[in-house]
Amino acid sequence: MTLREGKINRTYIVEDVTLEDKLMVRLQALGMIPGTQVEIINQKSNDSLMIKVRGTRFAIGRQIADGVNVQEMR
Amino acid sequence: MAKVQDAPIRVGFIGNPNCGKTTLFNAITGAKLKVANWPGVTVEKVEGSTVYHDQEMKLIDLPGIYSLTSYTMEEIVSRNCILSDEVDVVVNVVDASCMERNLYLTMQLVELGKPIVVALNMMDVVEERGMEIDLHRLPEMLGDVPVVPVSARKRTGLDTLMHAVVHHFREREEQRENVISYSDDIEQQIAEMETALTAEHPDWGRTRWYAIKLLEHDGEVLKQVSPSIAGLATESLEKEIIQEKYAYIEEVIQDTLLNREEKAMRTERIDRWLTHRIWGLPIFLGIMLLVFALTFLVGDFLKGYFEQAVEALSGWVTDGLLYIHAADWIISLVADGIIAGVGGILTFLPNIFILFLALAVLEDSGYMARVAYVMDGIMSRLGMSGKAFLPMILGFGCSVPAIMATRALEREKDRRKLMMVIPFMSCSARVPVYVLFAGIFFGRYAFLVSFSMYVLGLAIAILVAKIVTVIQKSSDNTPLLIELPEYKSPNARTIAIYVWEKIKDYLTKAGTVIFVASIILWFILNFGISGKVDDVSLSFGSMIGKWLVPVMAPAGLGMWQVVVALISGLSAKEVVVSSFAVLYGVSNINSDAGMTQLSQMLAAQNFGMLNAYCLMLFVLLYTPCIATIATIRSESHSWKFTGKVLLLQLLIAWLAATIVFQIGSLF
Repeated sequence: MTLREGKINRTYIVEDVTLEDKLMVRLQALGMIPGTQVEIINQKSNDSLMIKVRGTRFAIGRQIADGVNVQEMR
Repeated sequence: MAKVQDAPIRVGFIGNPNCGKTTLFNAITGAKLKVANWPGVTVEKVEGSTVYHDQEMKLIDLPGIYSLTSYTMEEIVSRNCILSDEVDVVVNVVDASCMERNLYLTMQLVELGKPIVVALNMMDVVEERGMEIDLHRLPEMLGDVPVVPVSARKRTGLDTLMHAVVHHFREREEQRENVISYSDDIEQQIAEMETALTAEHPDWGRTRWYAIKLLEHDGEVLKQVSPSIAGLATESLEKEIIQEKYAYIEEVIQDTLLNREEKAMRTERIDRWLTHRIWGLPIFLGIMLLVFALTFLVGDFLKGYFEQAVEALSGWVTDGLLYIHAADWIISLVADGIIAGVGGILTFLPNIFILFLALAVLEDSGYMARVAYVMDGIMSRLGMSGKAFLPMILGFGCSVPAIMATRALEREKDRRKLMMVIPFMSCSARVPVYVLFAGIFFGRYAFLVSFSMYVLGLAIAILVAKIVTVIQKSSDNTPLLIELPEYKSPNARTIAIYVWEKIKDYLTKAGTVIFVASIILWFILNFGISGKVDDVSLSFGSMIGKWLVPVMAPAGLGMWQVVVALISGLSAKEVVVSSFAVLYGVSNINSDAGMTQLSQMLAAQNFGMLNAYCLMLFVLLYTPCIATIATIRSESHSWKFTGKVLLLQLLIAWLAATIVFQIGSLF
């Protein structure tokens, strides 16, 4: 599943990130790499979402959320 | 290398966006740079200086960056500055409350091999949350980099930090470059690359850093090396290198951060509402409504005191001039020109003060970055990300910093689109125009009429952006990616600095641009082809104005005085008001008496409610002030673009005012 399909207040683990190079590297620099935990804090119906990665909150657009493959953490 | 005894130590401040770099820089240098609680406030490097125990120091505040790659303008500026000889010691400001992410930049700096000192900022926040950082283990794991805990807001640890910088500089300790050992495969490639680099560029130094950057396929570094070396880096190892850095950082965090349980629930609770999927937008609009209501309603309440002061001053000065038997023309210049113009503008100070106070609180609270999130949906339909909305909000204060803030956007196309529409955002210089004309013509609906200007300005900005997007077919927008800082209660000192700087700007403007404009205006109204004229209709001013009257008549602004006021308003939009004061000879234009006097004179020219509305609309939309024009020119590096923007704005203003006037005249 992708991060976009995730639900609010749940935590996911990043499997891989497939985005255009420049964007991918920026996300990686922020620590969004395979194995990283991502919590969805807030979500808008069809737009951006708010996530927490390594203790920092970010707002990301849906194009980014589409490119992050995740697995739900149990 | 021998140390020059008195040469200042040059210290570069670097860190993630919003880590408190600028606050620390201000605390040390006594500078008053703008600080706000959203990422991307510092867009260019700023220098300051301080003296620590007879050692002079030159400090450079660099834009906040997340990594030392070369993907954004800020990253390139900061990186080149540190790499060059401009900087002797690097102070890496680390937000201790988000250490995990901040250390990524630190690890890159360590690899660079330049002397660095880590300033562990926001230690107060860490303690508040009950966390602890092992300050012995941390420096060890960072390759013996000095780590100094500080609090920029509470101004603690500053001396220790400066001591560490001086000590580190004098010892000239080179930083250990291989703090992180990568996997065998990567290490082997680094070693091969280093050998090749040393052979080809023996004078470069820091070969490990260059080798790593080459393996990451860094665009800037690849350009500097010969094709044979570039060819060695067959595939980019960037992803692997980043992953291994983070793996090491996780180890560091494991070993040094105790009691990691997060207590940062407050921010999340606030965000449930402020960024709610449905309520987020109405709440934002409500907050802006509140800001402008405060500006106009509370500001008006306070302005009475200012009017009395201006009135008294005007009386004293005129009496004084009469007493010393000054020539009539001097008295006229001072009373009708300078005091009417400059004095009139000063009475709007309460409105300006409250507007900037409200904006400062918004910026310092951490809400600004959320607005990017809330507006992202609307902005993406305009082919921009929500981040592009931040410069637009700044435009409610002043277009100049707003246009400079567009640097936070990556694509030049987006920057230009924003530069084109930011002047439509109603800045503080329009406030006096609204206060005066809405006050005269709309009585108790004055605030609503003024507020409609803000809404119209925003709507036209959005519309123009949309049209440009459609014409350019540039809908492949960069997606939103912005850090959302913690909410915090606004800091009195930060806000005081912010508001005072704005008030100072306003006063400076009154003393310079508005002062000069008032004098020039007085001259062109009192002199004509035949020299000094008593009949104003023979003056230069009237000649110029009458020439353009036919053009402005369809917009309901076909009076030569109005035309002259609008032309002088190009120097600064407040000048429209001061010009009205000079043109109609009203001494205290913002007082009840002044307003009555002006409205009677305007009524005699058939200038009514509709004309007033068209005037406000025209002032909102037409060509911005000289300072804004100059900023658009310097940020776009193009006169052609600047010229096009100006013409477009003039055209839109004329069209909007004409449409409103023609339709309004039907009723």
